[in-house]
Amino acid sequence: MAMRIIIIGVMLALFTACGPGKKSDEQVFLEGLDSTKAEGPSISEGVIGDILQRIPSPLEISVLLKESGKKYDVTYLNSPDNISKYNSNYKKALNLGVYGTDLGYTNIYEQNMDGVKYMGSIKSLADGLNIGQFFDIETIGRLATNSKNLDSLLLITTQNFNSINHYLQTQNRSNLSVLFLTGGWLEALHIVCEVAVANPSNKELQETVGEQKIILENIMLLLSFYKDSDPNMAALLVDIEELKKIYDKVKVTYTYKESTFEIVDGVMVIKDNSSSTIEISLDDVNNIKSIATSIRNKVIS
Amino acid sequence: MKKLILIALSVITLSTLEVIGQCNSESLSNLCIPKLSTGFNFLKSYKIEKGGKDYVEYSYVFTKGTQYMINICAGAPPTDGIVVSLYDSNRNKVASSKVNGQFIAAIAYPCNTTGIYYIQYTFDGSTAYCGGSALGFKR
Repeated sequence: MAMRIIIIGVMLALFTACGPGKKSDEQVFLEGLDSTKAEGPSISEGVIGDILQRIPSPLEISVLLKESGKKYDVTYLNSPDNISKYNSNYKKALNLGVYGTDLGYTNIYEQNMDGVKYMGSIKSLADGLNIGQFFDIETIGRLATNSKNLDSLLLITTQNFNSINHYLQTQNRSNLSVLFLTGGWLEALHIVCEVAVANPSNKELQETVGEQKIILENIMLLLSFYKDSDPNMAALLVDIEELKKIYDKVKVTYTYKESTFEIVDGVMVIKDNSSSTIEISLDDVNNIKSIATSIRNKVIS
Repeated sequence: MKKLILIALSVITLSTLEVIGQCNSESLSNLCIPKLSTGFNFLKSYKIEKGGKDYVEYSYVFTKGTQYMINICAGAPPTDGIVVSLYDSNRNKVASSKVNGQFIAAIAYPCNTTGIYYIQYTFDGSTAYCGGSALGFKR
């Protein structure tokens, strides 16, 4: 009897020790497939992760465009058929981001037929990078068939992309995360520039283009960590430095004033009393559009 | 033999305690996502676990003209002593969810200035030092 208790006890202890820290066979297998680890950035993965997670979702720009009454225009987007051009991990990761932004744009405008095409291309690119397991195409495809599911569709796609980024960082493949976010941001910049130039009287859109200066600086910082170890990322950084030259003319001024608040239905609603101004001319927007389009064309070709 | 039984029982107890004591911040942050108010689109979920520092901090670029919501979920409602504070890019405090001794589980921030914001979680009388949080936005 006593021996049985001991055996059961030891088995239980061993069983409970197999917590989240232990890798499943599936994980080990997937990691074995992975041959896309970076040579190594010049800074810790933790610091890179901190910067990566602050890059805003391109979905915010799509929502801005929809809310400001701008019409859906599929010609702004990268064709999902271009996928056959993306054979290197560098191109796959960049265009995974590009297509992610395009999918978000189609979702926001509830253009599900177009969205389905982007889902297929995203799944293929993700599979090619051994991260396809995080993209739940079946659920997303099912949700996309009914416009009533928009909230769930946006939620699941955002969660899937967050999971991909998290996984890449835990696997020391943050270089792919950097490319993924850079591609997504470039596509969002391209779309908002196109709309801003087509609507020259819309100051809000011009300001949105100007505000991208802050994200540009963070993207450049991220790429700079890899410039000595990855020639592709170094070349991309050189291209983006051209964009920075135009953005240097954009002035952002900020005046801080203490905020106030009120409690409404259990939520603390802040009143932001600070203010900011963005000085950007239409010429600047045109120049930014021109360079952004040139970089994007390199990325998607 | 008694010693062996005692060792086995100790191992079981300790391993069970370890499981109970584990912080499941991921499930708490997932719990927070549907608690974002209507109209807010989910952006990020954050794990809140006390580590080496007295606080847990994340950052995100907020955009002028966009309203953001940050909420907190914890084992003991409303927040188990977890406080979220928001700082702007110059580290000026913009908001704190503890007011007059009351812990508020969600803050809404209509942003007037595009820039990096620091979302900092601290523990004030927390028992589990464990929670989750979600960030959402709407125009």
